[in-house]
Amino acid sequence: MAELRLNFFQRNSSKISQAVMIIILVLITSPILLGYAWLILRSFSVDMVHGFIPTKLTLKNWRFLWQEMKGYPNIWRTFLNTFWIALWVMILEALITSMGGYALSRYDFPGRTSMLRFILVLHAFPSISLMVAIYYVLKVIGLLDNLWGIILLKASLEIPWGTWVMKGFYDGIPWELEWAGLVDGYGRFEVWRKIVIPLVKPGIAVTAIFAFLSGWSEFVFINTFIFSQNAWTLSKYVKGIIGDFRFADYGLLTAVGLFYVIPTIVFFFFVNKYMIKLTIGGVKG
Amino acid sequence: MPEIRVVNFSKHFGKVRAVDNVSFDVKDGEFVALLGPSGCGKTTTLLTLAGIYKPTSGEIYFDDQLMNNVPPKYRNISMVFQNYALYPHMTVFENIAFPLKAKKMSKEEIEKKVLEVTKKLMIDKLLDRKPMQISGGQQQRVALARALVKEPAVLLFDEPLSNLDAKLRMMMRAEIKKLQSDLGITSVYVTHDQAEAMTMASRIAVFSMGKLVQYGTPDEIYNEPKNMFVAAFIGNPPMNFMENFKVQSKDGELFATRGDIMVKLPPKAKEVKFEKTEGLVLGFRPEHCKIAKKEVENSIPANVYVLEPLGRDLIVNLKVKGVGGESELIKIFAEPGMNFEIEEKVYIIPDPEKLHLFDPETEETIL
Repeated sequence: MAELRLNFFQRNSSKISQAVMIIILVLITSPILLGYAWLILRSFSVDMVHGFIPTKLTLKNWRFLWQEMKGYPNIWRTFLNTFWIALWVMILEALITSMGGYALSRYDFPGRTSMLRFILVLHAFPSISLMVAIYYVLKVIGLLDNLWGIILLKASLEIPWGTWVMKGFYDGIPWELEWAGLVDGYGRFEVWRKIVIPLVKPGIAVTAIFAFLSGWSEFVFINTFIFSQNAWTLSKYVKGIIGDFRFADYGLLTAVGLFYVIPTIVFFFFVNKYMIKLTIGGVKG
Repeated sequence: MPEIRVVNFSKHFGKVRAVDNVSFDVKDGEFVALLGPSGCGKTTTLLTLAGIYKPTSGEIYFDDQLMNNVPPKYRNISMVFQNYALYPHMTVFENIAFPLKAKKMSKEEIEKKVLEVTKKLMIDKLLDRKPMQISGGQQQRVALARALVKEPAVLLFDEPLSNLDAKLRMMMRAEIKKLQSDLGITSVYVTHDQAEAMTMASRIAVFSMGKLVQYGTPDEIYNEPKNMFVAAFIGNPPMNFMENFKVQSKDGELFATRGDIMVKLPPKAKEVKFEKTEGLVLGFRPEHCKIAKKEVENSIPANVYVLEPLGRDLIVNLKVKGVGGESELIKIFAEPGMNFEIEEKVYIIPDPEKLHLFDPETEETIL
């Protein structure tokens, strides 16, 4: 048999394919990376030339952190408002979807199938088309211009999707585990709390994370249903900078924008492992 | 320990009749196997005994207490599942302690009992591990320990050995039997493996298509199968069947005949009232035959088809010329030391005492 000769590309095929992959990924992500790079640079500079080169570095754009800005609410108050909304949307959604998902997964009640279908339709429904109706509802229950109005609204729009996700996690848990718990001497609720809930923790984490982020980044409802500056959130603050009645201050805009995304990035850093579990899908066990 | 009585029990899921009018009883301390192919209703019956399913109709009694609507936690039962159903987020210790915690036992008492049972099952070195970190056989023992630790009145097994490899299964089979007889706990054991049922149980309930076909001791099930289903399900390899036999009498003796085949029937055949004497199925077990190399009376001529040596035993596969040119495959355990050539002509001599006749339409046993 003749000696088998490999050429350069065959010998290094794995290295080459890796290099190609990295180049492709860099190309795809470069618009986002460049965007963030610009955001960071611009927030620390007086002005930029050629679009990308800072003329002089400054901290002036970040002054909103330590001094009151005329025409804007206090940034820390705004920050707390945003956090408050995100937190409560997260709590409500985690609580309700973890119970609703279980019911949809385990109980066979009349209307279950149609409910499952309806949930998906609900999620596909653009919430912006509900604006007028929501306005009336909030007005009637007296939650217009109130953070709790936004919290309830946001949670109720997110819950169908979250319930669907949680149902998927519950579906992955074998019935035998619950049966074993019942036989071992526990009631249905205790079995749910002691055996089932610990196993769907990744699911609860994932729905909670998404709920938090969606509450954190909410803009449309706040822009529509919040009037007083006391109840502004960061998204509204950013909008305020490029608002209709003043010249846009790009230095301030980039600094506030960056301030707005920092918690999200930190948050992702901490919850990364749960996000990975979601892509793997379901529960190990 | 209670006696279990199941009376006219049926369980329907929508239109599917999973279990249809089944009655049987389990005596105090008895080990009963529910045996049948998958989908025959045996697991449904077990889950109803556990209280996880409620009967559609009929009654379940533990002693004289009607149990139909009693939730599992008040039944004082334990169950071992096929996939063990260990709680993956708890350690082995926590898994075994879980049923004791439900009884609000003190910490010291729980620890003492867990140690006791894990020593007995030789898993006391694994207490800090999670179920994922131990082998299948060890998981099986943990499941068993969790079932035994609370000293239940009734033990339920749902195919507990079918996820183990063959060697381990044989070992656990004996071990579970020993544990059960030592503890004297009334036990119901679901399996599709006839060898498990035969070796472990004092009585076997054979299920088919949601019905209880036969309930009796392993001996009865083996020697006096009620119909062709039971006859074919018990034994490995299963009973051989040959079709189209006629019953004829000659010189005061009864014979089963087909063409030039003629097999003598046992004397007890004379007491049977034959509704039909034609088109019957002749059945005999592979272990109840001899093979002769030369023609003898009352034998069935056949050709060697293939040989299956098992070390200790040799299964000879034979082809017998059937009606209309098609041939039937018959499996026989050969006597040790016999040698065969493929296509060699031999003669099967069934033991007349162990012959069966079946009605092919109803599949019921005639003899």
